[in-house]
Amino acid sequence: MKQFNSGPSINTYNKLSHWFDFSNFGILKVYSGKIDIGQHISSTLALITSKITEIKYDQIEIIRLSTDISPNEGITASSLSVASSGSAIKAASIALKINFLNYALKNLEIKNEDILLENGVIKDKNSNKTISYWDFAKTDKFKEVIIPEIFDENSLKKINYENNQKIELKTINDIVTGKYKYVHDINFSKMLHARIIRPPSYHCKLIKINEDFKKILVENEIELFIKGSFVAILSLDEFLVIKFLEIAKKNVFWEEKQKLSDDNVFNSLEKHEKESLLVKSGGEAFYEEVPEKKSFDDPKIRSLSTIFKKNYLMHGPIGPSASCAIYKDNKFTIFSHSQSIFALKYSISKYFDIDPNLVTLKFMPGSGCFGHNGADDVAFEASVIASEYPDRHILLKWTREDEHSWEPFGSASLNKVFGAINDDGEVVYWSNEAYSDTYLSRPSDIELTNFTSYKFLTNNFAKTISKPKTSAHMGIHRNLDPIYNFKETRLVKNLVHDLPLRTSALRTLGAFANVTASESFLNDLASIKNIDPFDIRLNHLDDERAINVLKNLKKEMEIFKPKEDFYRGIGFSRYKNSAAYCAVGVELKVTDDLEINLNHAWISVDAGEIAYEDGIKAQVEGGFIQAASWTLYEEVIFDSKKIISKDWDSYKIIGFDNIPNFTTNIIDKKGCAYLGVGEVVAGPTGAAISNALCNAIGQRIKILPFTKDNITKELLN
Amino acid sequence: MSKVECELNINGLSKKINIHNDKPLIYAIRNDFGLTGTKLGCGLEQCGSCAVIIDGEKKLSCNLLAIECEQKEIITIEGLQIDNELNNVQEAFREFNAAQCGYCTSGIIISITALFDKSKKPSSQEIQNALNGHLCRCGSHSVVLKAIDSLIEN
Repeated sequence: MKQFNSGPSINTYNKLSHWFDFSNFGILKVYSGKIDIGQHISSTLALITSKITEIKYDQIEIIRLSTDISPNEGITASSLSVASSGSAIKAASIALKINFLNYALKNLEIKNEDILLENGVIKDKNSNKTISYWDFAKTDKFKEVIIPEIFDENSLKKINYENNQKIELKTINDIVTGKYKYVHDINFSKMLHARIIRPPSYHCKLIKINEDFKKILVENEIELFIKGSFVAILSLDEFLVIKFLEIAKKNVFWEEKQKLSDDNVFNSLEKHEKESLLVKSGGEAFYEEVPEKKSFDDPKIRSLSTIFKKNYLMHGPIGPSASCAIYKDNKFTIFSHSQSIFALKYSISKYFDIDPNLVTLKFMPGSGCFGHNGADDVAFEASVIASEYPDRHILLKWTREDEHSWEPFGSASLNKVFGAINDDGEVVYWSNEAYSDTYLSRPSDIELTNFTSYKFLTNNFAKTISKPKTSAHMGIHRNLDPIYNFKETRLVKNLVHDLPLRTSALRTLGAFANVTASESFLNDLASIKNIDPFDIRLNHLDDERAINVLKNLKKEMEIFKPKEDFYRGIGFSRYKNSAAYCAVGVELKVTDDLEINLNHAWISVDAGEIAYEDGIKAQVEGGFIQAASWTLYEEVIFDSKKIISKDWDSYKIIGFDNIPNFTTNIIDKKGCAYLGVGEVVAGPTGAAISNALCNAIGQRIKILPFTKDNITKELLN
Repeated sequence: MSKVECELNINGLSKKINIHNDKPLIYAIRNDFGLTGTKLGCGLEQCGSCAVIIDGEKKLSCNLLAIECEQKEIITIEGLQIDNELNNVQEAFREFNAAQCGYCTSGIIISITALFDKSKKPSSQEIQNALNGHLCRCGSHSVVLKAIDSLIEN
């Protein structure tokens, strides 16, 4: 290792005590600002700590995030869990080990070669003298250590470790025995179960509640909570709440203030008012005039244009969102599975206009979330209800219909792509205009309107207008800037207003649509000149790591002989052009009934140094499966008044019957920074399936998902 | 709304509970027996996370009435261990770390346990049939399939 950068968290939390608790002998407790959302970050962080400190993995516990004790490392998102918290904990571990060794050498008066380090205890080989990390943690020296922002080569000489450890996930035994507790499983004495009585759609004001219904609720000891147009029912008996929720739908009346939309969303994306920003090389967006698209008269240059469309997608966790809150002694304690635990603390304290120190958020697991789903909303709603029932725990759960209808979806989008290729196979011009609603409406203390219930609580149904974010690869323009060295690019981010559905962060933000469109289009440009898909990419890349990943994929795919009636496609991307590199190959078959059967998937990834190999494999294979599901099946269905796809029959996702065989290669770059892998595979997966489908049927299908209906419509066009 | 007495046998433990006669089994399991390993995903028999074994057959508990399960042997994820040892399916899932968020996992383990209780070497079609209707959103499918394959190989 030449140098190691500790990452951003160390700027704020540079003491060993910010990260380590040695109060119980033989156990090392580690703090992190990131949460377990299925990526098993706690196991990876424990492994990183173990590798560096040589304290056994089994001796290390990761302390579950709580805003009163944990470092604020921002949101658990954007493939940054290992890149930020992993780097910080690695830095803290290096600083700990170096200082511990120095302390031991001095106090035991021994030489380096006489040290035996086992289970966190140093023994002098020549005597019985020992000293442990736990002894060191009691000293002033431990308190004085400042974790450096950068470790130089010399200080890293004492750090040796292997990267191929197999571990048992910290949570797996509890998961397979049913002991793993989710927010949904919380049970406190006298706890009230709550459900929300939802209106038919976003813009509905409460008109009245049937008086007879209110009496029945009283007779059954069910509490009715009304604030503005926000209505909930509560009971000690969870089933009673479920039962009356159905009855309530017929007894609560609403006035629809505004329809969703009468127009097709793709028409709206083109026609509605929008803010257009120019995205420049490097991925940042600017409020600058967008140049006209070029045209080419030169007969040696061929050009092509295509419009790719993607429908709304949902996060769709298998377990609907839930939260438990209590308001006691003028303080809130809220259990939540949100990715934005700290932001929630500040948002909720802002809503109640109280000191943030009076609000504690405690992470507790939920179902896999994949971005900003209903988790934040339900925590906010639980706290609103709890504020009116002091000293009582309120366990609020969303229903399946709530989750399918009220979560912030991943936006529908359009990519208008235009490109030109010369006789030498060089892409001389590349234009990509992305049209979409926002991907960034997580709640914050300045944007309380991002809570879906806020408008019902305040009876203010005015639409909020999102402002475009301009940072590199932030939102709609994530991976709009191609990694390839095309001669000239024209990249435009269009944030379109007044679209029908609520949207926010879904895994990869705009990258899935942008990469799927770009990598499909690149194949189409290449095919004009009969250039091999690998060659067109390799010919336009300078980055050695990118080239290496693509070559690795090519080699792996060549090992398997192509089968008759099966077709292949590839896709490539470097997430945000700054995180992990990923190349995906797909082999599929299209049935006579236009069903797409996935046969084999090849994934090659360079995510920097491997923190935990099986964890990376699980993330990229899982990411492939989810992206394949988006690509093949998923679209939110709605009409002018409401969401139609309210369950799993009307919103189909991938099942066990269409899972390909995987060949997954993780390239270890020991000594390089962790790059994070939670999202990198999605775009290349969409592209690889799109390209394989194009090869199979001889025509580019330009609308996702690739359902029989959509393919048929495209073929008939 | 009146309640009825209902005696259920879950994981070998019989208990009388007073419940509404339209209460689905899952709420009896989770709230009256305190066994929260069985998960509610949809309440519509569409996702599989609420699967339990009743008289040797996999059943979805989210719409099945509790009162219809009297005098039947109900096994939940908490009841699969024998003498505190994981059963073969749990052991395979543990060995392969075959879960991401884990919310769907107990339902899948229940289904596969019911399958292997009937047949030591089920066909791939039988395995697919058992997994049909089990949804996973994290994409743990590939590792789950590896864990199941290991059961056949062993």
